[in-house]
Amino acid sequence: MSEIQAVNANIAAAAPADELAAPSKGVWQRFEPTLLGCGSIVVLLLVWEFLPRLMTMQEGTKLFFTVPSEIGDTLWTMFATGAIWEPLGVSASAFAIGLSIAIVVGLPLGILLGRSAALNAMFDPFITAFNATPRLVFLPLLLLWLGLGLWSKVAVVFIGALFPILINTHEGVRNADRVLINVVRSFGATEWGIARLVVVPNALPYIVVGLRLAIGRAVLGVVVAEFFGSEAGLGVIMVRAASRFQVDVVFAGLIVFAALSLLMTGLVKLLEDRLSRWRPQHVSAI
Amino acid sequence: MMDDTASRLSFPTRYRKALLGSLAVVLFFAAWQAIFLVVPFNPLFISKPSLIASGLVDLVTSGDLFRDVAVSAVPFFYGFSAAVVIGVPLGIVMGWRVRVGYALDPLMTVFYASPLVALAPLVVIFFGVGVGGKTLIIFLLSVFPFIFNAYAGVRAVDPLLINVVRSLGGSERDLYFKVILPSVLPYIVAGARIAVGRALIGVLVGEFFAASEGIGYAISRFGDIFALDRMFGCIITIMVIAVVLTEGIRWSERTAFPWRTAH
Repeated sequence: MSEIQAVNANIAAAAPADELAAPSKGVWQRFEPTLLGCGSIVVLLLVWEFLPRLMTMQEGTKLFFTVPSEIGDTLWTMFATGAIWEPLGVSASAFAIGLSIAIVVGLPLGILLGRSAALNAMFDPFITAFNATPRLVFLPLLLLWLGLGLWSKVAVVFIGALFPILINTHEGVRNADRVLINVVRSFGATEWGIARLVVVPNALPYIVVGLRLAIGRAVLGVVVAEFFGSEAGLGVIMVRAASRFQVDVVFAGLIVFAALSLLMTGLVKLLEDRLSRWRPQHVSAI
Repeated sequence: MMDDTASRLSFPTRYRKALLGSLAVVLFFAAWQAIFLVVPFNPLFISKPSLIASGLVDLVTSGDLFRDVAVSAVPFFYGFSAAVVIGVPLGIVMGWRVRVGYALDPLMTVFYASPLVALAPLVVIFFGVGVGGKTLIIFLLSVFPFIFNAYAGVRAVDPLLINVVRSLGGSERDLYFKVILPSVLPYIVAGARIAVGRALIGVLVGEFFAASEGIGYAISRFGDIFALDRMFGCIITIMVIAVVLTEGIRWSERTAFPWRTAH
């Protein structure tokens, strides 16, 4: 379970090395990554924009096609008229409630499982099974139980976000330094004291990584749940637009979801940096 | 070292984890079955293990289950293979050619971070509900773990090995096949494990949307007609497939690259 996080951590850890090497070189070399990175995105957008003008398309294909300027226009109109706020609010509340419940349940349960080998052994088959299975499989069942409204969405978000938080908390707690735990225990700390003084501070970076994964899954959960069984929300707008061939609206919705996802992940990344500032290995990495 | 100590322990101590795990699973199903002795049973909203078991037996003996799984397996196989064939070389080139990496990294990150499932309605409109549409959804979802893991794997290649091959006169081709590929393989297998989960999401999304056969379609149809025993049967089938695939890859990781997971 933890290798996923390890691989992601590898990607993240490798990034600063490039920046480290850059300042000693010339101006072009210093800005090369940024220029090339932005450049490729700009080129892609330009090709997408101008390709339909250079090539003549069949009438049928044109119906399904859109260009970036049209998408930008739609996005602007959605925000300018305020039409986006209500469905976005519906989606965001499902996201927020589901993620909060996942945190409230996942954190204590993860700590508990990390501290007790017996409980961990008992829960392990369920966690493995539910984590491997796409949560989407439960959607028809949840729709049957909870109806088309807010709560079936909340449930999908909750199931999706719970496991990254739970598994990473568990991993972080298990990796706590045995010596520190024994020291604190020798000085008469209770299990609660051990958790507060050693286990939780040690697990924090893991928990934050879990949170980052959970956000991605939660956004996915909102989108999917709204596609298949809901009557309000940004996902619903996208499905309706797709069935009316309003391709620009679908892309506008995708961009809003992607922006939200990136924004939340960025905020968690800030939190991660702030929380791990005291760590010696982090200092040496700078 | 572990085996040494393990062989001297008694049976219950040795298999404590597995025993506790199986016990918990058995207890869970027993409790599920037993609770309806106290709580009134409404077959329209919930099922019980005995009914699910007989529903599963029905599905298996009639051959419906195998047919549905086989139908879903075809786009899964195509999409996943395409993800490997395109994702791995792209990731390797991104890692090896620094400028390509600079150029594509932000773009790929944006794609990876955005919920690409949201494109499913469009894909269905463009390519229909057949194998083509489903394959594309599965490909889109599962290609990025391969790209990013191959990318990370190449950057983790030991520079010493590269220098040795170069000093001894190895060609670019030798570098790719003798140094880069072997050290990237563990990363790719780890990426495959993530990609399997995402590909399964693709199968379900494609089939929930619009399909007339397949395991995802079976789940939503049995839900629509309130046949909860068979619906749970299909859900459990998917869970088993998902666990077998991910744990199978995990097992092959441990067996093939023991140095990766040893610590």
